[in-house]
Amino acid sequence: MLLSSTVDSTSTHTMDKSITLPPDEIFRNLENAKRFAIDIGGSLTKLAYYSTVQHKVAKVRSFDVLFVSVSQEAASDKLYEISVQEEVTARLHFIKFENAYIETCLDFIKDHLVNTETKVIKATGGGAHKFKELIERKLGLKVDKEDEMTCLIKGCNFVLRNIPHEAFVYAKHADSEFRFQTTHPDIFPYLLVNIGSGVSIVKVESEDKFERIGGSSIGGGTFWGLGALLTKTKRFDELLQLASKGQHTSVDMLVKDIYGGSYGSLGLTGDLIASSFGKSATADKEFSKEDMAKSLLHMISNDIGQLACLYAKLHNLSRVYFGGFFIRGHPVTMHTITYSINFFTKGEVQALFLRHEGYLGAIGAFLKGAEEDNPNQYSWGENYAGSSGLMSVSPDMNPMQRARSGTFDMLEMDRLERQLVNLPLLQDPSSYIPDTVDLTEDALAREYWLYCFEEALDGVVKRAVASQPDIPEATERAEKFRQKYRHKLQTLRHQPL
Amino acid sequence: MAECVRVDSSTSTHTMDKSITLPPDEIFRNLENAKRFAIDIGGSLTKLAYYSTVQHKVAKVRSFEFSYTPPNDKLYEISVQEEVTARLHFIKFENAYIETCLDFIKDHLVNTETKVIKATGGGAHKFKELIERKLGLKVDKEDEMTCLIKGCNFVLRNIPHEAFVYAKHADSEFRFQTTHPDIFPYLLVNIGSGVSIVKVESEDKFERIGGSSIGGGTFWGLGALLTKTKRFDELLQLASKGQHTSVDMLVKDIYGGSYGSLGLTGDLIASSFGKSATADKEFSKEDMAKSLLHMISNDIGQLACLYAKLHNLSRVYFGGFFIRGHPVTMHTITYSINFFTKGEVQALFLRHEGYLGAIGAFLKGAEEDNPNQYSWGENYAGSSGLMSVSPDMNPMQRARSGTFDMLEMDRLERQLVNLPLLQDPSSYIPDTVDLTEDALAREYWLYCFEEALDGVVKRAVASQPDIPEATERAEKFRQKYRHKLQTLRHQPFAYGSLTVRSLLDTREHCLNEFNFPDPYSKIKQRENDVALKYYQKAVKSLEELSWEQRQFALVRGVLAGNLTPSVPCEQRPWLVDSYDQWLERLKGPPHKCALFFVDNSGVDIILGVMPFVRELLSRGTEVVLASNSGPALNDVTNGELQILTERIAAMDPVIQAGLREDRLTLVQSGSSSPCLDLSRLDKVLAMVVRERQTDLVIIEGMGRAIHTNYYAMLSCESLKMAVIKNSWLADRLGGKLFSVVFKYEVPAGKPSQDSAALTPS
Repeated sequence: MLLSSTVDSTSTHTMDKSITLPPDEIFRNLENAKRFAIDIGGSLTKLAYYSTVQHKVAKVRSFDVLFVSVSQEAASDKLYEISVQEEVTARLHFIKFENAYIETCLDFIKDHLVNTETKVIKATGGGAHKFKELIERKLGLKVDKEDEMTCLIKGCNFVLRNIPHEAFVYAKHADSEFRFQTTHPDIFPYLLVNIGSGVSIVKVESEDKFERIGGSSIGGGTFWGLGALLTKTKRFDELLQLASKGQHTSVDMLVKDIYGGSYGSLGLTGDLIASSFGKSATADKEFSKEDMAKSLLHMISNDIGQLACLYAKLHNLSRVYFGGFFIRGHPVTMHTITYSINFFTKGEVQALFLRHEGYLGAIGAFLKGAEEDNPNQYSWGENYAGSSGLMSVSPDMNPMQRARSGTFDMLEMDRLERQLVNLPLLQDPSSYIPDTVDLTEDALAREYWLYCFEEALDGVVKRAVASQPDIPEATERAEKFRQKYRHKLQTLRHQPL
Repeated sequence: MAECVRVDSSTSTHTMDKSITLPPDEIFRNLENAKRFAIDIGGSLTKLAYYSTVQHKVAKVRSFEFSYTPPNDKLYEISVQEEVTARLHFIKFENAYIETCLDFIKDHLVNTETKVIKATGGGAHKFKELIERKLGLKVDKEDEMTCLIKGCNFVLRNIPHEAFVYAKHADSEFRFQTTHPDIFPYLLVNIGSGVSIVKVESEDKFERIGGSSIGGGTFWGLGALLTKTKRFDELLQLASKGQHTSVDMLVKDIYGGSYGSLGLTGDLIASSFGKSATADKEFSKEDMAKSLLHMISNDIGQLACLYAKLHNLSRVYFGGFFIRGHPVTMHTITYSINFFTKGEVQALFLRHEGYLGAIGAFLKGAEEDNPNQYSWGENYAGSSGLMSVSPDMNPMQRARSGTFDMLEMDRLERQLVNLPLLQDPSSYIPDTVDLTEDALAREYWLYCFEEALDGVVKRAVASQPDIPEATERAEKFRQKYRHKLQTLRHQPFAYGSLTVRSLLDTREHCLNEFNFPDPYSKIKQRENDVALKYYQKAVKSLEELSWEQRQFALVRGVLAGNLTPSVPCEQRPWLVDSYDQWLERLKGPPHKCALFFVDNSGVDIILGVMPFVRELLSRGTEVVLASNSGPALNDVTNGELQILTERIAAMDPVIQAGLREDRLTLVQSGSSSPCLDLSRLDKVLAMVVRERQTDLVIIEGMGRAIHTNYYAMLSCESLKMAVIKNSWLADRLGGKLFSVVFKYEVPAGKPSQDSAALTPS
C-alpha cells in the first residue's frame, strides 16, 4: 500500500494555532507564487509552489571597438564593462510541516498570496480528502486530487534526475552513516519499495511507465498495529525507540535454538532467525516491550527485504529505492532494511534511500499541475541556501533531532538557464565522480576544510562589500551572508551529509 | 526451517499416560518379522517406520500332467500356497505414548539382527537415550531435510493420488492429482516454526533456495502473546471464527473503495493489523488470530510464488505442522497462491505429509535393499487414510486425535510403469467417474458395495470348504470392509480419489488381509472347464461364416462372453457403435501387433477372446495377451491363462503356431484389480509393447473399458468393448441395462482410416 494511511504520531495532539513561526523565512517568495500542490500524509503536510525570483546578476559587456580607438584613455585601459542587472529565475519551493500546523499555514498563505491567477491546488496523499474542505475554504482554491502513486513516481524521477547525490546507501557502522550515490545518467529502470501502512513494490521503466508489480500487507502499519497491541505503546516513534533498545534473540527462535548450532548442510548459521516470535509460542514467561518491538521490527524488515530482492531479481533490476513513512528518516529501519537486502542478495543489490523521499508526492503533484510549463525539459538545481538538508535522525548521533520534529523543513530548487548533460567524452559517465576528496568519508580532511572555509569567510565578506562600493546597504547584506554561511558550516560540522 | 521444533499443541501439559490401552497388535503389525526401524520425532507426534515380511496365502494353479487322466475332468489343480512379501509399516502417534510404544515393541521384537534405528526430527535427540535404553538399539541420526525430501519423492512416486488440491467450497474438499510420470522438479514449502523453501531437482539433488522466519512458530508465538491462548490447535480454532477485517486495514479503508489504477480491489488487505495502530479499542481474540493467520499465509504464499517463478517451477507442495491436516491453513495458503499466481500455480498438499521424515529416514537405512528399485502400493486394508479435520465437516476428528494413524505399503512383485502408448501420460486419469466429486454416484456405489458384501462373504467361505475357521475369518473381513465403506461414506477422500476401482481394490486388499486370496478360484476353474469343451465347435462354426459375417460374430462373441448366457445381445445400433469403422479398418492392411487386455475366465476368455485372437493371428497380426498378475473376482489370471492357452493350442493349430512362432505372447499386467490403470503396468509388458511396435490396443469388460479407461486416449488405434451390466451406470451413459459399448478410436493425425464416430448413430 501507499504511504497514505493515517500515520499520525501526533493525532492526539490538539492543533496549536498560537505557534510562532518565522513564516517569511519559510514560505519564501509567496508574492510571486503561482502553482500550488499539497501532499497530506498521515502526520506531515508537504506544500509545493512555484515562484519567480528576482535577483541580481553581474554582466560583462565588451566596449565597442570603434569607441575604444577614440577614447582609449577615458576607459582607463579596461577591456570590458561590468554591470549589475536584475534577472528573473524560476524557483520551486517545497515545505514540510506537521499536520497540526496546517490551518496556521493556510492562513499565512492566504494573507500573503498576491497572485490571483491561481485557481487550483493539486492535492495528493491519504489525508487530502480529510482537509479538502478546509483548504478550499481558506485559500479559495479548488482542490484537484491527483493519483498518489503517479505523483510519487513523478516526484521520484524528478529528484533522481535533478539532485546529484539524491540517493544514498545507509551503513550504520561505517565511518559516515550515509554514502551518497552519483547520479546515474539514465535513472531507469528502478524498483521503488514504498513502505507505508502496507508495502507497494513498483517497477519504474520510464518517465511515464510504471507498474505496481507486487506488494505486501506486512508493512509499517503492521509494525505499528502489532507493536501497539504487544507493547501498549501507541506512538510509532516510541515503538521504534523501544525496538532500538531490545534484544530480538529472547523472543525469536534461532537456528541454534533448534539445532544447537548452525545447520551446516543447508548453509544456515546458528544466529539466523528460524522463527520470528518462535520462543513466545511455548515459553511461559513475560517478554519485555523492547524485545518484542525489536523482534517485530526484524520480522517486518526482513520480510520486506526478501520480497524486494525477489522482485528485483525477477525483473532484473539492480537499483532498489526504499521510501514511505516506515523508512523516512528512521536510521533504525534503514539499518534493518539494509541488513536484510545485504543478506538476501549477498550484496548484489544495495538498498538505496532518498534524501528528499518525504517530498516525492508533493513534487509529483506539483509537476502534474505544472505539466504545461514542461518542468522536465529544464535542469533544476538544489538551492543550498534555501534548503534545510538531510538531518541525521539517529538519536545518539544527533541530539538536535527531537527538537527538530515539529518544525519546518524546506527544499528549494532553482531552474537552471540551460539543460545540463554529461560531457560525451567521459569514459564511464555512471562512475564519474567530479570531486577528488569526499569530505563526508574523510573526517580529518573535513575538519581541515571546514576550518579553512571559516577562516576565509572574513576575506570573502570584505570582498563582497568591496564589490558594491556604491551601494550603502551592501555591508548589511554581507553581514547576513556571513551569518548564513557560518551557520551552514556549523551545520555541516555536525551533519556532514 | 524444517518441521523440527517443539510443535506440541495438545499434549505438552499432559503427563505421560502409561496406562493407556491400545490394541497394539492391530497397530504394530508384523512386529515379529520387523527388520529395519526408523523414527521421526516431531514436536508432538512420533512417526515410526519399519519393514516386515508378511506371509500370506496365494492361490496357485497348476496344470495336471497330460499323461495323467485328470480326476473329475478338471483342467488344472488349484493350490493355496504361502508367499512372503515385503511390507513397509508407518505408524504415527502422539509423543505422550512413546514410552508405552517402545515397551510394546521391545516385548514383541523377535528379530535380533537389527542393531540400529535411524532417527530424525527435532525431538530425536530428546528421546535418544530413552530409545537406546528401551530397545537396545543404537540411535543413528539422519539429516532432517534429506529425510523429508527422500520421503516426499517416495510417496510422490509410489502412491497414486498422493497429492491433492484443497478447495473449501467445492463439492469435495480434496481434489486429487494424478501422478505425473516425472515427479521432478518441484518446490517443497515446509512450514514448520519457520519456512524452508526447497527446490528438488532429482532423487539426490535438492537445494534450500529460500525461507522465512515468518512461519508456524510466528503464528503460534504471536498468537499466544496476543490472545493468551497457548495451544496451536486452539489458535487455529479461534482464527477460524474471527473476522480479519476488524483488525486489518483494507484498501477501501484508505481509499473508500478500490484503487482502480493499481488494480487493487477494495477488500484487499492493505495493512495487516493496520487498524490496531490507531484505533483505541479492544480487539477480539478471534479477530486477531484470523488476521495473523491471513498475514502469515499470504506472506508464505507470495514468497512461494516468487521462488516458483524465479526457478520456473509449476508444482509447489506445502507441508509442515502449520499445514498438516488443518483445513484452515490449507484454505488460506491455497487462497494466497491463487491470488498471487492468478491461478497459474496450484497449491498442492500431500496425503501422507506427516510421514515424509519417517519414510525418508527409513529409506536412508534401507539403502542397501534398494527400495527405490521396486514399486510400492498403498495397502488400503492396513492404512487409516486421510481424515477430514475440518471440525464442521467431520465431528469424528476431535475423537481421533490422540489415537493412532497408520500407513502400510506393500512391495509389488514388479516395477510398474506407464503404458508407452498413452497419448499424454501426465493427464491420463484411469477412472471414468470420480466419486469424490459426485455425491450421487458415491451414494449409489457405496450402497452397491454394501449390498454385495453378503454375497462376497458367502463366496469367500465357499472357496475354502475344508477349512473350518474360514467362516470366522470371513466375518472379520465383512466387518473390516464394512467399516472401510462407512469411513469412505464420511471421508470419501481417505485414500485419494474415491472410484469404483478403489472400492474394488480395497475389497481385494481386505480379502487378502484375511487370507481369502482367491474366492473365485473354484468357480473360475469350473467355468473354464465347461467353456473349453465348446471351443472347437465354436471355432468351426465361425469358420463356416463369410468373412464379413465372421467379423461381426467375433465381436458378438467377445460381448456375449461378457454376459450371462440368458441375456441376448443388444441389437445394433449399440449405445456406442463404431463397428462400421472397425469393419472398414479390417478390410485394410493387418495391424502389426495387438495388445489385448482380457477380462473374465470361462466363456469370455475361451469362446470370446480366443477366437478373436485367432482371427487376428490369421490376418498376420501379432497378439500380446495381458492378464492380471493376481486374482480379482472371476478375472482370468496370468497363471490360469497360461494353462488355458496351452490347452487350446493342443486343439487349434492356429494358436499353436502363434505360440511356437512367438506371434502370440502372454504377459501379466502387474495388477490384481478388476479394473485397469494404464499408468501402473508391469515393466515387462511395457517392454514387449515397445519391442513389438504395438499399433492396436483392445480393452474388454466393464471394469477395464468403462469404469476405467472409457475416456483414455491412446497414441495408436484402440478398441474398447463392453456390455454395461449396471443399470445406474447405463443410465449415466445414456443407455439402458445391457447396452453395448463398442468404441473404436483412431488418434487424430494418424494416417489410418476415418476416425470413428463415437456417438450412437
